[in-house]
Amino acid sequence: MGTATRQQEVLEELRRQIHRIERRPARREGYLASGRPEVDALLPDGGFPRGALSALSGGPASGKTGVALSALREAQAGGALAAYVDGRGELYPPAALALGVDLARLLIVRPERGPPRGARDRDRDRDRGARDGALPGLWAAEVLLASGAFAAVAIDVPLHDLPAARAEAMLRRLRAAAEKGGAAALLLAAPGGPAIPAALRLDLDGARLRPALRAVGGEEDDRGA
Amino acid sequence: MAPERRAPRVLALVVPALPLQRILRTRPSAGPLGVVSEGVVHHANAPALAAGVRPGDSLVQARAACAAMSAEPLDPAADRSALRALAEALMGLAPAVELAPPDALFLDAAGARLAGSDAEASERTLAERVLGICRHMGYQGRVAVADGKAVSLALARHAGRERTRVAPGEGALSLSSLPLEALDLPAEVARWLSAVGIDRVGALAALPAETLAHRFGAAGSAAGRLARGEDSRPLVPFAPETFPHERWDLDGSDVGVLSSTEPLLFAVKRLADRVAARLAGRGLGASRLRLTLFLDPRGEERVDLPLARPGAEAALWLVPLRERLGGLRLPAPVRGLDLAVVEAAEVHAEQLAVGDRPEVARALDVALSRLSARLGDGSIFAAESADRHRPESAYRAGPFRRASADRCAMPGEEAPPSGRPTRLVDPPRPVVALGEGGRLTSLRVEGKARSVLAISGPERLAGEWWSEPFDRDYYRARLEGLGELWIYRDGRDGRLWIHGFFD
Repeated sequence: MGTATRQQEVLEELRRQIHRIERRPARREGYLASGRPEVDALLPDGGFPRGALSALSGGPASGKTGVALSALREAQAGGALAAYVDGRGELYPPAALALGVDLARLLIVRPERGPPRGARDRDRDRDRGARDGALPGLWAAEVLLASGAFAAVAIDVPLHDLPAARAEAMLRRLRAAAEKGGAAALLLAAPGGPAIPAALRLDLDGARLRPALRAVGGEEDDRGA
Repeated sequence: MAPERRAPRVLALVVPALPLQRILRTRPSAGPLGVVSEGVVHHANAPALAAGVRPGDSLVQARAACAAMSAEPLDPAADRSALRALAEALMGLAPAVELAPPDALFLDAAGARLAGSDAEASERTLAERVLGICRHMGYQGRVAVADGKAVSLALARHAGRERTRVAPGEGALSLSSLPLEALDLPAEVARWLSAVGIDRVGALAALPAETLAHRFGAAGSAAGRLARGEDSRPLVPFAPETFPHERWDLDGSDVGVLSSTEPLLFAVKRLADRVAARLAGRGLGASRLRLTLFLDPRGEERVDLPLARPGAEAALWLVPLRERLGGLRLPAPVRGLDLAVVEAAEVHAEQLAVGDRPEVARALDVALSRLSARLGDGSIFAAESADRHRPESAYRAGPFRRASADRCAMPGEEAPPSGRPTRLVDPPRPVVALGEGGRLTSLRVEGKARSVLAISGPERLAGEWWSEPFDRDYYRARLEGLGELWIYRDGRDGRLWIHGFFD
């Protein structure tokens, strides 16, 4: 009798798991090529990990956006969707098109000026001093990553404008959302910002004639150079 | 001689005691209740019937039988709205739906045969689906499929079963045992027939046609034809004139006034399900909704909800509605709700591309709805190239549609210009340049002078003389410690500006 009851419990649990799986998009596994051989050569396993957060760190003209766009182009292979959270409002889509990104399958999220609609008063108090694009952009990135509908999401928000502790907490949520949804999350970060809980960090320096690339792998926080 | 028109196959749906059912949708556990007009009880619910109230009783008699009975006024306008709402929800099932007030609808059942070679099975499936939608909208109905409107309506009302189907050509036989009142005859005809002892449809059908024509003229002839199941009248299709909306007055219902988000969402869900069903029936999808919350004792709060994609799936509306309601601070409890479609568009069943999975499509729809509700319509888009020389106008924001995301670039589409920065600053930033011997040697950027390591250009971009003329010479400048910038010299005043970064 006990064995039959136990079997029934196991069956029920399996049914629940199957139901959960069937209701969610399948997770992606593996790595996403950057689309640039010189970058892939530096990355462990030859690409950005799917289902994880990677950081592309560099100054305003370091080349990190170009690397992210090339990776989004690779992600779109096979008809998948990609997204770019443009918290600074600076992405120039014609350049993305020139790099081979399919604009019809690239969702661009560019939060409008002003605090997020529907924010409760206490959130508004905590956000005092935060730039318009940071929190809404991070929230949008979390929604996109957790959905599982996108193969890759690039995130460019002004992290410097948030208190460090708040930014780090939001970034941990992004990491969790990437793990849940299976997308490759690519955070574009300026040097010296908050600690980023990235599985991989790529430092770019476009100041010299030949870009200097440095890839750092690891799970724990690693402040930008 | 014109060929005789055959009676069309018609499904009649009757909602018994529609006025009572409409009220009980929001008060399912009400005590004794009667629907009253001009002092007469028209309908009574089960507790009232059990207490001895009967339709046709005066209000005084009803109260004598059941002192606790609450009297709700008959509201023909509300009942007509309810019937129209039901018709909307059913429009997707048949080529034509006709209103037959006060409590019935006709659907063209001829199309059911197209769904499969077995006409009987197809008509039974249609009947099941009609009853299912009826229940979804909160009503219990009865259906009958037969030749012609009169036969199907008579059977739906009087056959005593939830579902009735009569094979083609057997209408007269099916009617024969029904009471005369099933035909809804003119009063004078009905009185005479009753006086001569004819109380069944079959007996009327047996009367010679000349006798009825001689006694009552055209009305008599028509009565005879109905009794013989001859009714070739076509359906008059219902065409809704407005977008659907559903309202629920909570005060006085089983729910009562609401003060917190979760119960409010539950109530909104019920309205959303019905509005979505009505839209789906019309082949429409909502692209903007308006939820009005009526506050207790007065005042209202309005929530406008743009949707990322037109759709008629209530579950997708609830995601952004939850976001918006969660952020609301209501000054008073809510005593009523109204959910209305403000904008709608035709929606067509989308073919999923090879490799598409429905769960991915649904997850995308949910994500887009949440983003649109929280950040605003204009915050999410797909960029489209624009044929403009002014760099900041070389693209425009268009809607991000899942269907168009399957489109590949068509041959012949213009290739984008090369040499464009990945980041464009808006507005352009002024920059101070230092030069030597006519050569640009350094730029002051972000408060610091940086040497120019390399420079290429110019690329002249100019135009739009008819509106906002511009004249710029663009350069790519690599700066020490920074990288490559896109700068331009304005031809109108010679000033230098940073327009982008090759990041």
